[in-house]
Amino acid sequence: MTEFSRRDFLKLSGVTMGAVMLNQFLPPPVAEAARRAGQIAADGDGYLTTMCEMCVWRCGVRAKVSKGRVVKLEGNPDHPHSLGKLCARGQSGIMTTYDPDRVLYPLIRVGQRGEGKFRRASWEEALDLVAGKMQEIKDKYGPEAMVFSSTHNLSQVQFENLLSGYGSPNYGTQRSLCFNSMVTAFLLTYGIEEPARNYDNVKYILLVGRNLTEAISTSETTALMDAVARGAKLVYLDPRFTKTAAKATEWIPIRPGTDSAFLLAMIHVIVTERIGDCDFVQQHVLGCEDLPTAMAEYTPEWAETKTGVPADTIRRIAREFAAAKRFALAHPGWRTSNFINSFQTERAIATLNAIVGNVFEPNGCLIASSPEAGGVPLGKPPQPPYPRTAAQRLDGVPWKYPLVPLKLGVFQEMRDAILTGQPYQARGWFIARQNPVQSLPDRARTLEAMGKLDFIVAIDVILNDTAWFADVVLPEASYLERYDPLAVVGGKIFIRQPVIEPQGEGRSALWIYKQLGQRLGLGDYFQYADEEDYLRQQLAPLGLDLEQLKQKGYVEPPPKADGGETKDYVFNTPTGKIEVYSDTLAKAGFSGWPTWEEPPAPAPGEFYLLTGKVAQHTQFATQNNQYLHKVQDDPRLWMNVDKAKGMGLSDGDLVEVASSVGKVNVRLLATQAIRSDCVYMTPGFGHVSKGLNTAYGVGASSSVLHLTFTDPISGGQALSQTCVTVKKA
Amino acid sequence: MSHPILPLAERRRLREKQIKKHQLANLLTHWFNVAMWLMLLPTGIAIISSPRLALSPAIMQEMFRNLFGGTANLIRFHYSVGLFWIFVLAFNVLIGFRKYFIPFSRERLLLTRDDIDWLKIKPMQMLGLMKDKPLPPQDAYNAGQKLYMYAVILGTLGIMVSGVVMTFHTVFPPALIQWAQPVHWVSVGAVVAGLIIHVYMGAVFPEEKEAFFSMFSGKVSAWYARAHHEKWYWEKVREELEWEEKVTVEVEAEARAHEAAAPGAD
Amino acid sequence: MATKKRYGFVIDVSRCIDCRACLVACSVENQVGMKYTRIWVRDLGVKGDYPHLERTFVPYNCMHCDNPPCTQVCVSGATYKDADTGLVLVDQEACIGCGYCVDACPYSARYLDRERGVVDKCTGCIQRLQVNQQPACVATCVGRARMFGDLNDPNSEASLALKNADTVQRLDYELPDGTHTGPNVYFINGEVMDPAVLPREPKYTTAETAWRRLLIPAVVAGIGLSFLGQATFFTKQLLEGEKEFEE
Repeated sequence: MTEFSRRDFLKLSGVTMGAVMLNQFLPPPVAEAARRAGQIAADGDGYLTTMCEMCVWRCGVRAKVSKGRVVKLEGNPDHPHSLGKLCARGQSGIMTTYDPDRVLYPLIRVGQRGEGKFRRASWEEALDLVAGKMQEIKDKYGPEAMVFSSTHNLSQVQFENLLSGYGSPNYGTQRSLCFNSMVTAFLLTYGIEEPARNYDNVKYILLVGRNLTEAISTSETTALMDAVARGAKLVYLDPRFTKTAAKATEWIPIRPGTDSAFLLAMIHVIVTERIGDCDFVQQHVLGCEDLPTAMAEYTPEWAETKTGVPADTIRRIAREFAAAKRFALAHPGWRTSNFINSFQTERAIATLNAIVGNVFEPNGCLIASSPEAGGVPLGKPPQPPYPRTAAQRLDGVPWKYPLVPLKLGVFQEMRDAILTGQPYQARGWFIARQNPVQSLPDRARTLEAMGKLDFIVAIDVILNDTAWFADVVLPEASYLERYDPLAVVGGKIFIRQPVIEPQGEGRSALWIYKQLGQRLGLGDYFQYADEEDYLRQQLAPLGLDLEQLKQKGYVEPPPKADGGETKDYVFNTPTGKIEVYSDTLAKAGFSGWPTWEEPPAPAPGEFYLLTGKVAQHTQFATQNNQYLHKVQDDPRLWMNVDKAKGMGLSDGDLVEVASSVGKVNVRLLATQAIRSDCVYMTPGFGHVSKGLNTAYGVGASSSVLHLTFTDPISGGQALSQTCVTVKKA
Repeated sequence: MSHPILPLAERRRLREKQIKKHQLANLLTHWFNVAMWLMLLPTGIAIISSPRLALSPAIMQEMFRNLFGGTANLIRFHYSVGLFWIFVLAFNVLIGFRKYFIPFSRERLLLTRDDIDWLKIKPMQMLGLMKDKPLPPQDAYNAGQKLYMYAVILGTLGIMVSGVVMTFHTVFPPALIQWAQPVHWVSVGAVVAGLIIHVYMGAVFPEEKEAFFSMFSGKVSAWYARAHHEKWYWEKVREELEWEEKVTVEVEAEARAHEAAAPGAD
Repeated sequence: MATKKRYGFVIDVSRCIDCRACLVACSVENQVGMKYTRIWVRDLGVKGDYPHLERTFVPYNCMHCDNPPCTQVCVSGATYKDADTGLVLVDQEACIGCGYCVDACPYSARYLDRERGVVDKCTGCIQRLQVNQQPACVATCVGRARMFGDLNDPNSEASLALKNADTVQRLDYELPDGTHTGPNVYFINGEVMDPAVLPREPKYTTAETAWRRLLIPAVVAGIGLSFLGQATFFTKQLLEGEKEFEE
């Protein structure tokens, strides 16, 4: 009876108020469960273990909870990615959850697209509307007319289930805007997506634009700083004097887009002087005999003309690198210089590591066995096979981009296909936790493409710029409020679990996808009762207990029966060797060897527009976080101070930056810390959504300026290949 | 002090005759102030702990902090009592504005020509000069007391306003709070300087012995009134005579009326 | 002031990457208002001639001085040096938010929280210290630049780091009275002696100066005179008896 009157009262008191009251009056299940498990004290204070989602590194988190609120996040010392530490973004996570701009209940658009007028809807109504629209598109135009996109996250597997069960081949991810060149190059060379780095014994580190102290992967950044403090030499290539450059033993202000020339010349020196790890090379590297011939033209003197780095410097670094053989590391990075030739840069990095034996096991600095899979066979709810799709993919894989792995795709190409209607017209777009309005190059074209669609639905925790243009916005619970499927790191299974009740009506992605699946008649792809049931099914084959996992934050699976200590160097390539020469590439009509591709040069009066990272933000997602907003630097356009002086510009001037597709106004930072042939714009700003009260109106977006350039081999977008002019605004 | 020599019998009569000098409300307010000052002054001094100003001994600070259970509690006590003091005083002034406050202000703040003269002569006499010069007659309060009252009233206002600023420091700008502290201190200083004389005169100085007891009884002897507050004394006498006159007239009228009402009864 | 323990920070300047995880951790842990910060990373700027550039980041917060100028000016006694830990703390229940101490700190390591009407500063996360946790900034320092511990204990992490350091610098400051602040933050393995971090002369507010220079002498004189007058009469009264006053 009292229960009833309370509920009635809650209905009257509005959502936000309701959420607060709920926490106070009804024992919240999260806190209750945790209390029963002894994780938090009776007075409601204690620590719960979960996982960060402020970037994709996913540190382990210990969340301090007090009276139903999370009050502080700590790095989990047991998690290999955090080792007890969190970066600025991780520390700020509670503000992502308590952001006053959170979307707290389902929204249905009532005004024009982009007007930002929504009305509150019930989950029932919103889900019925989305499923109805999706079914309508499927019935009228076929499932391929619905495109799906989402950025790397733990629930992605069920998102993929939804789109594959629905029958659409069109799936866009952030990958082609990020690491396509690296992943494709390493798949072709080593047979793995992303080799792990090992800093334990490293003596010589070569970072090719990998700005590890600003693009932070917590434990790796710490490991790098430890290595440098131990005396490892750090050589850093970047046109910009970044904070990593400030920590490097040697900063090489290389000409933008010419990193591969530098690396090819290093390979040239090492193979012609025969100072690499010859034993390793002969046994495990395909093409080693012909490598000197293939690299013959790439002399340091030749590279000097391309890179602007003196030949002697290149020669010296090559010799130093080789001298540290097996304990040297040329970091693969994510996308190096961000040019079309970045694929060749990555191939050269793979080659360089191979020829000095850095991939030897077990202590090499580059680990060629995939760290993520870790050989832990997690279970999965049963599901029927997916329906066959006859339709071509809109992103041109593989019919236009034969070598791009299917799971990577070419997102920017998909956007262009929506716009052109070729090879067929897309009608609907389902976007989960992604902000293509900000992330895709050429924002004007992205918005135009969205205008071609009948229906757009977005899932997010805040009204990001893409959700701002959506027809329906579904509120997800934040990462501190929900379960996600389990993650395996370093052979251990880690959990993301709710540490507080969701704000408002936020729900987990697992729940949302299942609800939609059921409404679309795809219930068989979502055979789990709830989130915990999903996790139990994942643990079932290992015979592990969910409660134990929840308590400790991780479980160690039992050791495998076969042991498998006989590590024979077999690489997952067609030949089982490291393929410095790739027949696959050659057969597809590309160079089988790592090779030089001349990048375009800026016209007189133009600059390369470089992009990068700052340690206080993740891509386009965190600018509305008030804590990060508080500690960030003002977003600026960096320009060489002498160059600026020559152009009559001075520090703090408002300048107009223009490319052939757009222009923005931004404040100038006149600094010595950048070459004079390029400018750099602080990434992630220039949000258009007025639903982001903290971030709206701050800085400018480089997406407005970026031209769409796609690497034909890897499908990667070449973000730094855009050239711009700068003048006083 | 030169008074005309009176016959002994008259002197005895005057000494025995009591004249009401203080209203009960004023008495209560006075002793309430005393109580508040006894609580506020020591705690206030103990609070000021800046070594650079060196205004209170460390041992006293330590003692009071221990006594009250820490700095915050000491400060809380000080401003709680302070706010109570402000409240009661403001209440008294508002409630008794016409009945007590206006006469009180007139008695204690209006400086007459005689007061000015008194101020010229009295300090000299206290230093042993001008012994032969007669003092001008004084009202219920002499000019010295009036001056002291100025210090008290202005000082009290300064203390209260600056105290309120410091107590409610979240709403006032820092510049105001920065100045409130010296203002508070200097206001207390001004009152204390006067207080030393006030206490001495009121409680120790033999000539003013009656004044001290009057702060309990509310009354002084006619003798004392005549000697120290001549103007007021004669005013009182005049009032008394007027009253007697009035009463006499009334009694006579009543008697006459009585006679008229029962003419044939006797 | 000698204290039982002497907690302090040791900052390895060579390891700071200016990621500002410490700033956010501090703000969350201590619920610092959105306009304020208790700790800083001072950027000494890009120096040198292209391409031979240098840039140093200096994590910075209250120095928890041995002889702190801030406690000297605090009128209410809210700012004090803790006798157990050696940390310089503010009892915000006792603070009236006048800001004398903010001006007096040569390191500008304090701020006035206008919303709460009190002064705030680094506390060495004493609430964490009490449950054997490192301060929030130290615990999360990605570059391991920040270290914290009892400098009286030769085996604390901070003391050991200090002992093994290549270079040690301290931003000591000589106060006008000839004493030294004696800061308990040590910068190791890097050059920090730069105008961006060097201590400044303590400032004293006009109100405090007027109080000290003008009002104290005036009131002392007033009370003194009044006391003297009263004493004269009292003496006279004692010497001459009370007769004189009787008629």
